[in-house]
Amino acid sequence: MQPGPEVGDAYLVTRARDGYLDAYEILVQRHSAMAYRVALRLCGRHHDAQDIAQEALIAAWENLARFNGDSSFSTWLYQIVTRRALNKITRGQTPDPTNPLDDVTDPVTEPAVQAERNLAVDAVTQALATLPFPQRTVVVLHHLEGLSYAEVAEVTHSSVPAVRSHLFRARRTLGKKLAEWR
Amino acid sequence: MTRPVNDSPPEEAAVHLLDAVTLPCGAEVDPLLEQVADGRAADLDAHQRECVHCQAAIAEFTALWAPVAETAARPVPAPPGLTAAVMSQIRVLVRDVWYTLQTANLGVIRIAARIVATRARDAARTVPGVRVALGRSTHGKVAALAERATFQHHHPHAAVGVLGRTAVVDLAVAVSYGEPVHEVARHIQRQVIATLRDEIGLQTVAVNVIIDDVLIGEDQ
Repeated sequence: MQPGPEVGDAYLVTRARDGYLDAYEILVQRHSAMAYRVALRLCGRHHDAQDIAQEALIAAWENLARFNGDSSFSTWLYQIVTRRALNKITRGQTPDPTNPLDDVTDPVTEPAVQAERNLAVDAVTQALATLPFPQRTVVVLHHLEGLSYAEVAEVTHSSVPAVRSHLFRARRTLGKKLAEWR
Repeated sequence: MTRPVNDSPPEEAAVHLLDAVTLPCGAEVDPLLEQVADGRAADLDAHQRECVHCQAAIAEFTALWAPVAETAARPVPAPPGLTAAVMSQIRVLVRDVWYTLQTANLGVIRIAARIVATRARDAARTVPGVRVALGRSTHGKVAALAERATFQHHHPHAAVGVLGRTAVVDLAVAVSYGEPVHEVARHIQRQVIATLRDEIGLQTVAVNVIIDDVLIGEDQ
């Protein structure tokens, strides 16, 4: 089934709660890449990220009745993904930043440029892995996903000043790690 | 500023800069780094336009932050099969055990009600004015599982009910603003009945069309 680009998530959520699995399938198609991408950047391993994304998308369906619509579906999914990533990490599975994005290729780019870009992405992934989870989360959500401070605060059940505080510390740490890599 | 940065190797200069609270001009380091990291390096204020320390720091941070910007811009597609795996697991939770049943000399043909729902939905989507059509294929006891997950009460016109070569199809449809709704609904019924008759062999088909949204513009 092709995703329906013409209807908003709120409509699809309502229909999914009525039992229309089609509607939820469109939501999954729209948001599965985001769920996987965020999980990958938080935990650093492809297989863990795939598991987290899958579990999060199923958990979102199972809990649709608890989704009150105050936030967007994507914000709610961000919350579920980050919580599940934290659970996986705290269960003792430490990130393995070794070539986590090897299977992500960009066929348009020249191989040499692609290799350079892979190094840059790997450097960021390794630097991210050194951050405490709360700092890593705000960096991923704000600087990599493009969420505003207010949206990050909503996802992390925090406040805008707390988000900015985490970001200030995280940027300095990341900057030093990336300076070593240069 | 703990020490001058100009005489240091680039990586050391960057680290010293990141250890400092302020630049020699008095500007704070954190807001400068935030400015660069948020993609506003070119938005210099009046002081920054005149200050070599700020301009040097912004240039340094821009180079330092480039891999992060590159990572952010890099597409990361979902692994193939992720959507299918998710929906497969959900369908296990809401397994549809209802089938059409057609007997023939060569044996019995069973077609799951969800297939009927899928074809009905796809047929409805070909009707002009239809922006989205959703088919529901839960029924009876099976629907109770979905209801338990979603805390929804059983819809009075629930589902695709199939019995032998008879089917009742329930479709939720959103149409474009300005379309004659009743004509679109009639068109959907004719289209779905013809499709299920020709492609699945169902003889008696009732199509309940629920127009539950009218959409304006590109997105809602």
